[in-house]
Amino acid sequence: MSGNNSKLLKIRALDVSYGSVQVLFGIDLDVTPGEIVSIIGPNGAGKSTVIKAVIGIAPAQRGSIHFKGREITRQPAHEIPALGIGYVPQGRIVFAEMTVTENLEMGAFLLKDGKRVRDAVDRVFSEFPRLHERRKQNAGRLSGGEQQMLAIGRALMLDPELVILDEPSLGLSPKYVDIIFEKLMGLKEQGRTLLMVEQNAARALSVSDHAYALELGKNRFSDTGQALLNNTDVRKMYLGGA
Amino acid sequence: MRNDLIIAALLVVPALFAPMVASPYHLTFLLNLWMMIALAQSWNLISGMTGYVSFGHAAFFGIGSYAGAIAILAGWPWYLAVVAGAVLAWIVALPLGVLTLRLRGPYFAIAMLGLNELGRIIATLWVDMTEGGDGIALHPDLLPSLTANYTLMLILAIISCGMVAWIYNGRMGLELRAIREGEDVSEMLGVDTVRNKVIAFVLSAIVPGAAGVGYAMFTSYIDPASVFAPVLNIQMIVVVLLGGSGTIWGPVLGAFIVTGLQEVFWAQFPMVHMMLMGTLLIVVILYLPNGILSIIHKRKRIRPDQITPTSEPAKSAGMQEVER
Repeated sequence: MSGNNSKLLKIRALDVSYGSVQVLFGIDLDVTPGEIVSIIGPNGAGKSTVIKAVIGIAPAQRGSIHFKGREITRQPAHEIPALGIGYVPQGRIVFAEMTVTENLEMGAFLLKDGKRVRDAVDRVFSEFPRLHERRKQNAGRLSGGEQQMLAIGRALMLDPELVILDEPSLGLSPKYVDIIFEKLMGLKEQGRTLLMVEQNAARALSVSDHAYALELGKNRFSDTGQALLNNTDVRKMYLGGA
Repeated sequence: MRNDLIIAALLVVPALFAPMVASPYHLTFLLNLWMMIALAQSWNLISGMTGYVSFGHAAFFGIGSYAGAIAILAGWPWYLAVVAGAVLAWIVALPLGVLTLRLRGPYFAIAMLGLNELGRIIATLWVDMTEGGDGIALHPDLLPSLTANYTLMLILAIISCGMVAWIYNGRMGLELRAIREGEDVSEMLGVDTVRNKVIAFVLSAIVPGAAGVGYAMFTSYIDPASVFAPVLNIQMIVVVLLGGSGTIWGPVLGAFIVTGLQEVFWAQFPMVHMMLMGTLLIVVILYLPNGILSIIHKRKRIRPDQITPTSEPAKSAGMQEVER
């Protein structure tokens, strides 16, 4: 487990600044294949910035990011999907004026072969039947939960090894939070690896094999999800006491 | 796609034969109509499809018309002058696009506004080359016939529509629409947004550059104010928004309506057509933000077979009994 090559994603001593404001200070993070890994922390802890650095939209000043042993630090954002990293943005940003099917096609638009795109669309539809029902509607017409499914489906179009999710349950009804977390567990069972940032810390820890708790841009705690759930300090600081 | 070709044929075939039957007045009206389609469709290519609004596309029209007029004065045949206008517009657009389309937000719009003003000022001050505010008059002997000019504008309209249709139906069309809908997400899905925007922009400059030469040859006189004309920018925007931004036929439909209305009003009340433009713009933005074509499309969308799921009974995970 500790060998370099067993890590799908490896972040070392990562510093990120926006202008003159430093947000991340020497972050270390590992993602092992087949696991669900969560990053938790209060607002402003830099959770989202970590994943934004991975997918190339936040500038890494120092440190390194390796994916499958290959350095991807400062790789341009549009080159990331082809490496096998799918991304589900915060606030389930879908293309509102495009149909559900077109949204999914966008997820695989790197594929030149139309047949493979259609196969991928069918694969996502069989995973999310709800999306199939709504395939000809504009994505802007979907409910929040459906849009989140669409954003996840879109990220799955290229069959990525690592799926990165930014706040997947944010703003969803409790019912849909359950559905989304169930889906995430399902993705893990299919052998995918997940890295997510989640404000619903208790929920995230309960499904995570490993989790990182950040504080003010630094690593604070890191352990299995269950261990962090039982850690009194973590409970006090991140889970609202008790 | 097939319907598009049929409509295009129904428009183009009679248009090709118009010079044989139409009076010079009608031919001139049609020439203006084709020019408006060519310009509006070019604006649509960058601004309608990507959402990056150009407030100064007349700059390429002006650059082209000066390049063409100067080339004709230098003794070039008119068709080479047309090519010169297109190429110069392209040469100006490329670095400008590379510089400003790397940035998100309003920089591009402002740069285009500036380019048009800059063009007008250079054309006014560079007297040795452009004869300044006096403008350039072209002797009729150097110029093509009305029919040739008409055919040139028709071809430019067809080229611009063809470019938009080709891009719209292809992969790049999907990429441009994705950029318009959400540039960050597109990039995260693998769209090289800068490259796409720059290509669309450079393509959108070529036809206006050539159309500027056509205009200079048609009027046989240009001056800085008439070709780097702010009103031309407004016309392009109004035409596209009225018809339907980011669509293939919207700019064509918009050009028919605007050019037609202008002809009526221009003859009766010379200054009213400017007010008409403004009023039209306000009405469209308030009541028809997606243009006239959106009315037709909306109707299409309610067809029942598009709402009810048709095939593939959904089986997994009990997703569909939740909600609604």
